[in-house]
Order: sequence, then structure tokens, then C-alpha cells
Amino acid sequence: MEMSNDFVPKNTIIEKMNPNTKLLAIISLGISTLIFPNPALGLGVLIFLFVVSCIAKIQKTFLKVVLGFGIPITVMLLFIQGLYSPKNKTIIADLGFAQMGLEGVLYALKIVVTLLVFLGAFLLMNKTTHISNLVAALTDLGLPNKAGYLVLATLNVVPQMQKRMSVIRQSQEARGVETQGGLFNRIKAYIPLLGPVILSSLIDMQERGMTLETRGFGINGVRRTTYVKATRSPMDKPLNVILILFLLIVLILTLLMKFGIL
Amino acid sequence: MGKTILEVKDFSFTYNQAINKVLDHVNFRVDRGSFFCIIGANGSGKSTLCNSLVGLIPHYFSGEMEGGIRVDGMDVRKSSIGELSQKIGLVFQNPFNQLSYTAGTVAEELAYGLGNRGVPGKVMQEKIEHMAQLMRIDDVLSKNPTELSGGQVQRVALGSVFILDPEILVLDECTTQLDPLGAEEIFEIVKKINGSGVTVIVVDHDMERVASYADEVLVLSGGRAVKIGSPRSVFTDPELEQYGVNPPEYVKISDMLRKKGYTNRETAITEDQSIQMVKEALKG
Repeated sequence: MEMSNDFVPKNTIIEKMNPNTKLLAIISLGISTLIFPNPALGLGVLIFLFVVSCIAKIQKTFLKVVLGFGIPITVMLLFIQGLYSPKNKTIIADLGFAQMGLEGVLYALKIVVTLLVFLGAFLLMNKTTHISNLVAALTDLGLPNKAGYLVLATLNVVPQMQKRMSVIRQSQEARGVETQGGLFNRIKAYIPLLGPVILSSLIDMQERGMTLETRGFGINGVRRTTYVKATRSPMDKPLNVILILFLLIVLILTLLMKFGIL
Repeated sequence: MGKTILEVKDFSFTYNQAINKVLDHVNFRVDRGSFFCIIGANGSGKSTLCNSLVGLIPHYFSGEMEGGIRVDGMDVRKSSIGELSQKIGLVFQNPFNQLSYTAGTVAEELAYGLGNRGVPGKVMQEKIEHMAQLMRIDDVLSKNPTELSGGQVQRVALGSVFILDPEILVLDECTTQLDPLGAEEIFEIVKKINGSGVTVIVVDHDMERVASYADEVLVLSGGRAVKIGSPRSVFTDPELEQYGVNPPEYVKISDMLRKKGYTNRETAITEDQSIQMVKEALKG
């Protein structure tokens, strides 16, 4: 069973950075794009993220995910917001059946770039950080044991449930239940699988909870340690400062724009 | 041996919303350093007893509890599971359910409990290396635990518990899902652990194995402790089968040989004793 975390070691400087720096990047870049009124900033951040993905040697995956998600959502939002947004005042195109407004288009682009910045930044962290490294970094930050476990267990339990589902499906198939074919057949076959999968997962969960308790999961008042040490690089500190400054500057600029000073 | 490390005194337990007691006024003591086996039919209360010994009852499962359990002086009712885990460890039946699912490698899995206790990295590394050798998993330390065989995962699970240095190790049918070779490997390791002074409490259905490893055997039936004593006294008890427990095959073989007048030796309960008896019978 593999973890849901898609980390593949590539020995790059991005990989060697502390996971907390990457988390801060997601927060800083994502929130900056979200609060800044113009989509231009988000576009710039997206280009920056693409450059980072090239350094991390995952540019193909980055483009695939960002374009794969970005193109359909852009078309959809441009159609809805561009043509039918109540904010539309400046008409930039007349399609006959409806008119496209600049305000709606800008709003649609703002939503798209914000989503893509969050998606791209999270993808970069996911692809360049081993899950144990992430939890070690969060533990260093003083993250409660239960929260750390929640992150790891969530990433682990999904593939385990998929594996169990596959085993139950195979055993159903061996008894003559049809699980292949059209959509209706598949839905019909999958509904009876849900009961055993959910029930057995709950039973497993209970036993796993017991195991964790007997291995000291619930011990309080102890500064926990981890076997895996979180990676650190000389870039972490300056980058953290830059990311916080970037967010503060964007916040100030946004406020100035909002109050009409800029 | 000799000094009591675990005492179960008049202990009863009823799960919430259940009518009948799962354990009914159970009394027994376990000597420090001994190899203690618990046997009984399905539903006799063995797993509930194991859960009670490590504090899962009453801290994890709630219900009505009477009497008490003391583990090396600690009252199970008053101590948390975490505190008790420093004295007593439990290995369950399903090896895969004992993984923390937080570890990418076997080494991380072994380290999980140590991390919960704040053990420093250097000590952690030393303990992992020692445990990997003892459990014969040093060649898979960097592998993902979920990719190992059932026997290997059970050894990882056993190592993950034993690495916490418990004075008592409880094994609840921990070889049920393993092949005979895997089961034997686990028992060889457990015997070695027991040899180093650790008290071992085992729940097992393999009576031949119980007869050859146990210092003392407890028979549970319907939640009651119906018999306790040496393997010989338990397995030669003519009432044993009425508790849903079949004695080792060797007992039946030696009884037959004696009935037919081939031998006068006392009942054989282990393989070696049985072979000796058959050899003598053949000579005669």
C-alpha cells in the first residue's frame, strides 16, 4: 500500500527545504492572491510557481494538473461570470444571445488564478515533501499529536480502503456478481460493497485505536520526538521573511486600494 | 520467578448495553518472569481479559467493572493506558491493524511509541537497531511495513510493543493469522524475550504449543476462571473438554497406550514426551 502523498525523491533544493516553509508559501501566496483585487498578481504568482516547479523537476506534472483543472474551470467561469454577472457594466463583446462584461471576466479570472495558486502551491509541496518529513516539521512546530496523526492517517487510510474495496469486489466477482460493464451495472455492483467496506474499516479503526493507545498515543505532558528529522536548508529563514513581508505588502496595498489612496 | 507481578482479584466486567458478564469474578496471579497461557473456547472472555490487563478496559471500553487488577503495583482502574504501557504491552491478532499507519518505513514504525514518550533520536536509533536484530527484521528496516508478509508485519508489531521495554508482554492470539512457520518464528522470539526475564502472557488455541511453552495455564469458560495450574495438571484434567478445550493430541495418544497396557508412564503432554513414550511402547 502506498501513501496518498505523491513524493518522488529528485534531490532538488526545493525538496531539501523545510516543509513548514512550503506550508507558509501556500498560505502567503494563496492569501495574497485571494485578497488582492486584481488577477494580475495571481497570474504573476502562477508564473513564479511554474518556475519553482521547473527547479523541482516536476514542471510536466505541474502543467498537467494546473492546465487540466484550469482550462475547463476558466471556460466555465468566463461563461457564467463574463456573460451573466450582475457586476457587468463595461461590455467588451456582443455574442448576440448575451453580452460579455469586463467586470465579470476579471472576477472570473480572479477566482481561477486564486484556485490555481492554491492548487499549484499545494501540488508543489505534495510532490516535493515526504509525508513523514511534513509531520516531523509540524511536530517541531509543536503541532498536537492528534492533529499530526489526523494528517497522516487520512493520507494512509484512503489507499487502504481502496485496497479493501478491491479485495471485496474481487470476492464478489468470484461469486458471479457483475461489476464490469455500463455505468448502471457498476453503480449496482458498488452499492453492496459499501456496507462491508465501511463496517470492516470501522472495526479496523477500533483495533488500530487500541494499538495506538497501548503505544503511548494518549500520553500527555511529553515533548514528542520523531524518527525522521525534518529537512532544513539555508534558504528557509530568508524565504520565511520574504513570504511574510510579501503577504504584509499585499495586505497594505489592498487596503490602500480599497480606501482609494492608490 | 516467584514474586507476583500481576494480580487479578475478583474481577468482573459487563460491556455497556450487554446483559451478561463477559468476565465473572476472575481470580489469578502471574509470577514475574513466567510464561503464562490463557486458553478457552471462543467467547470465553480471553480477549476481554487481555484488554483489561493493559487498561483498555475501563479506559477505552466502558462498562460495569467489579474487583481489580494490579500490574506491578499499579491499579489498572487508577492508571492511564499510557502509564500502564510502560509496564505492560499488548500484541493483537491482526498484524496489519497494529501498524500506526503513520510510518513510511519499518524503522519509523518501531520508533512510533518511542516518539510518543519523547525518547531522543540517538537512543531511538540504538533501540531500533537492537529490536530489528531481535525480531529478525533488520533486512526490511527501510521498507514500507504494509508491503511485508503477515509474519514479518507481526514481528514488526511485536517489536513496536517490546521496544517500549514493558515488563509484561501480552499476546492475544497473535499467531492466528500466520502460517505454521511464521507462528513458530514468533514463538521462538517470544520464548527468547521470556528468557531475558520478561513476563509473557499468551492467549493461544494451539494446545500442543501451550503445553510445550507454558509454566502455568489458565482455563476460561463462560467468563469464569475454571482451572489454573501447570500444563500437566490442566491437560490431564478429565473435565477439560467440557470447557470447550481439547487437550494436546499427545495426551490422547498416551492415554490410549496406557489403556492398552503398552506403558505405565505418566501422561505425555509434549511432543518429546510422547515420542519417548511411543519408543518405549514399541520396545516393550
